[in-house]
Amino acid sequence: MAAFMEEALVEARRARDAGEVPVGCVFVHGDKVVARGGNEVNIHRNATRHAEFICIDAILASCRERRLPARQLFSEITVVVTVEPCIMCSAALHTLGVKEIIYGCENDRFGGKTVVDVAAVVGQRIDITGGVRADEAMALLKEFYKGDNPAAPPQAKKKK
Amino acid sequence: MDIADPPPNKRARKSPNLEEDITGIRAILSDEFDEDIALIKAHSCQLETKQQLQAVIQELSQKLPHFQHLKRVHDRSVLICPSSEIGASLEQHLEQFAFSEHVLRALCQGVRVVEVPERMPRLRVQYEKTLKHWPCKFHPNHYSESLRNGSNFSSAQRIFHKRMAQLLVRLSRDVNANRPVGICVDPRQSNIVSIAGPGESPSPHEHCSMLLVDFVARSQEGGTTKAELPFTEDSKEVETTLRGIPKAYYDYLMNDEEYTDLTFGAERSRNCKEGNADQGADNLAKFGPYLCTGYDVYLLQEPCLMCSMALVHSRAKRVFFLRNSDNGALATRFQLHSVRELNHHYEVFQFTTKEDEELT
Repeated sequence: MAAFMEEALVEARRARDAGEVPVGCVFVHGDKVVARGGNEVNIHRNATRHAEFICIDAILASCRERRLPARQLFSEITVVVTVEPCIMCSAALHTLGVKEIIYGCENDRFGGKTVVDVAAVVGQRIDITGGVRADEAMALLKEFYKGDNPAAPPQAKKKK
Repeated sequence: MDIADPPPNKRARKSPNLEEDITGIRAILSDEFDEDIALIKAHSCQLETKQQLQAVIQELSQKLPHFQHLKRVHDRSVLICPSSEIGASLEQHLEQFAFSEHVLRALCQGVRVVEVPERMPRLRVQYEKTLKHWPCKFHPNHYSESLRNGSNFSSAQRIFHKRMAQLLVRLSRDVNANRPVGICVDPRQSNIVSIAGPGESPSPHEHCSMLLVDFVARSQEGGTTKAELPFTEDSKEVETTLRGIPKAYYDYLMNDEEYTDLTFGAERSRNCKEGNADQGADNLAKFGPYLCTGYDVYLLQEPCLMCSMALVHSRAKRVFFLRNSDNGALATRFQLHSVRELNHHYEVFQFTTKEDEELT
């Protein structure tokens, strides 16, 4: 499964090239990637458009189109994402009941495992594995945060 | 909405008389304000004379810099260190720090274990309770105290917040088939920026807070919501934009005489990102709209963890909610706003109802 991290990193680089925080994600079903996405926060001016949500929405749209029950599909999906899902994404993935989460580097600012025990709050536990190609995921973030986030107000930039 | 109206008696039970139902607002403070300060055990010694004090304190503060939040001396007792740090004996422990001989002797006189507050109190009520144990430092904060006793809002503000709560109940009942609803307000002019209910599709994560932040994004020329939902058009004369408000809510409020005095619209995104406002102005005043910075969010239901974090990411200023949710993450199951590591913190308030008061 961890081999799919390369696919997630491709999405993270794509997000970087679009001026977004470089986080990428793929949803894997069986041995196939069924959804892929990177952060789309800045383009939509919506701070919740994380890579995981792009994938969740893609799955839901395709289930609607093909009239398939989404819940069943989610329970068979492995989420592969370059950075530990944040509290919001982790809560969503726990509530949807995905099969497992594999992530790259930790997110010590708002990680859904490192900072808050999301599974305990939501009341649902799923398998989570971290540290897969963490250095590469972290390097992308570091490279990004050296520059300025073009969408953030100037004062927030100065603080860094 | 195609859902049949609920039977009248059920409706009556849910929201009897709106004006009377909502009685007040209370801040949901994080645990560090609300809980009694925990006590820890500490070793103390008893000085024989006051003359020893200066030398002892000087060496202690260099070599064992504990208890920044406490007064180190109480009568002639001096705090040495937390008992948990001492291994076999106090003497052995102190040997590592190369105290001068007369100080070491003083530290080993009249040794007792005392209980002291673990951290500095945040509110006066906590402070007063700690005094029984050991004197501690305390910086009274007027604003925190006012949150606690409810004097942080003026009566006009209080009336406005309560009105928003009543509006949530009305919108849910009359426009939203009794489902949750949220309102985002720019508190500078009390303008309604956005209103949202949960998504129509059976998407398990399209909660109203998620849609609300997306509709706020619409008012900033962003947003991802598909075009099927009709939004309010902007009229050319006004400077603010109504793009964040779905037409169904706007039309409902426009046609209700009770709400003719409400004002609507978001400031448009500024192209120029240079801050030019007065010093001390908040980021919203300085730089214009960015996500939900400086905005207040009113929710019928306490948000779940996903939604609570979405509002952190969106940098909301304050979150008000009316009803507890089984999976609520601001009061019921968790207090997300108490998590210190997060890079943004909003204030949380819950409306109190007559029902609550009857229960207590």
